[in-house]
Amino acid sequence: MLRAHAIWKSFDGIDVLKGVDLHVQERECVCILGPSGSGKSTMLRCLNRLEEPDSGEIYLDGQKVSGPSVDLNGLRQQLGMVFQSFNLYPHLNALGNVTLALRKVKKLARPEADEIAIKALDTVGLRHKADAMPATLSGGQQQRVAIARAIALNPKVMLFDEPTSALDPELVGSVISTMRDLRTEGMTMVVVTHELRFAREAADKVVFMADGVEVAKGPPPEIFDAPPHPRLAEFLQQVS
Amino acid sequence: MDRILAQFFNAEVAAQYLPSMASGFAVTLGLAALIVVTGLSGGLALAVARTFQLRAVTFAIVAYADILRCLPPLTLMFMFYFAFPLAGISMSGMTAAWLALSLVLAAFSEEIFWTAFLSINKGQWEAARSTGLSFGQTISHVILPQAMRVAIPSLTNRTIAITKGVALASAVAVPEMLGEAIAATSYSSNSTPLLMAAAGYMIIFLPLAIFSRRLETRFRWN
Repeated sequence: MLRAHAIWKSFDGIDVLKGVDLHVQERECVCILGPSGSGKSTMLRCLNRLEEPDSGEIYLDGQKVSGPSVDLNGLRQQLGMVFQSFNLYPHLNALGNVTLALRKVKKLARPEADEIAIKALDTVGLRHKADAMPATLSGGQQQRVAIARAIALNPKVMLFDEPTSALDPELVGSVISTMRDLRTEGMTMVVVTHELRFAREAADKVVFMADGVEVAKGPPPEIFDAPPHPRLAEFLQQVS
Repeated sequence: MDRILAQFFNAEVAAQYLPSMASGFAVTLGLAALIVVTGLSGGLALAVARTFQLRAVTFAIVAYADILRCLPPLTLMFMFYFAFPLAGISMSGMTAAWLALSLVLAAFSEEIFWTAFLSINKGQWEAARSTGLSFGQTISHVILPQAMRVAIPSLTNRTIAITKGVALASAVAVPEMLGEAIAATSYSSNSTPLLMAAAGYMIIFLPLAIFSRRLETRFRWN
């Protein structure tokens, strides 16, 4: 479904990604782990081209989506993105946050957009907060609205960039359970995370990155129970 | 007390000069309205152009803003009205005044809009772009509504300060309100026309100040 090949990216002469590959099958959940500075977030941001890779190719459903002459706005509707810092629009209520792209990008009329948005908010358990302004919501609720904003566009793949890292510990659970629900419904997901438990339970495949390269990858039992690389073993020891 | 009334609130003088004051009021109001529209939209357009971060464009805009913010508007009016005809470009005093003050307001408001854009978190751009919103849609639906909240107070200050510069336009033969008032004051040896002009300025600018306060409240979303 989503395939990235030999992605290179450098910032100010420092190589952040050194030829990373990533394969995501339909209905698969891929978790990317790694120490900070390993390039995992950059990799995710290259997939919807919030960062422009220096070289390498990306294919979505067999179609090349890297390089020039790609409809970026079209691509980004198909790759939903959730950020560490939520990035809700503070001047719009929860419903407005979800409907903005439906109305302006998908050009839906307001009643249709509202209907889809309410459904998306329902999916994340926040239908009753449709009228709430972001500032009045907890971090966990804000992140769930951000998830609703992304899934309302009916993307082929959801990209999560450390979705729980900015949350107070007691709020992590609600976001994780929302992600689990999406997973159960068969959403294709790529998740950059430090939540090892989520990765172990929900991932079909775990990728471990360090220093801009993929160090190890495999199904969770392989990665967690018998780390195939000393760097990975060291990382797991440090985080758990 | 009677002398104060006779000197500043003289009904006879007021009646005599009401027609010329009224036409001066119309000129000042019309010119001010035009300058607000062109100056602010010019400033917004420049600030948006600057977000593309093309080196040459940014340099040109910064140079424009810095120079125009330093020049007294009167020198610009003189240049347009007296010097440009020598180069074959003639314009009326009205056009010269409108152009000069619009350019100055555009320079100041560009800086205000730009600073407001910068104050918006980069994540807002990324969130909007990652849902497929185009650059223009991101500006108009996500960035601008948030930037306006930051910009409105300083924008109002600048707009009022620069638009009051319409009073300078009598130097390039525009029959604006303050110029008419000063002329009437010297003809009649009476200060009533000046007070009439002051009242005229209040009628024009007080609503602008009140309108901006209401906008500020409207943009206060939390």
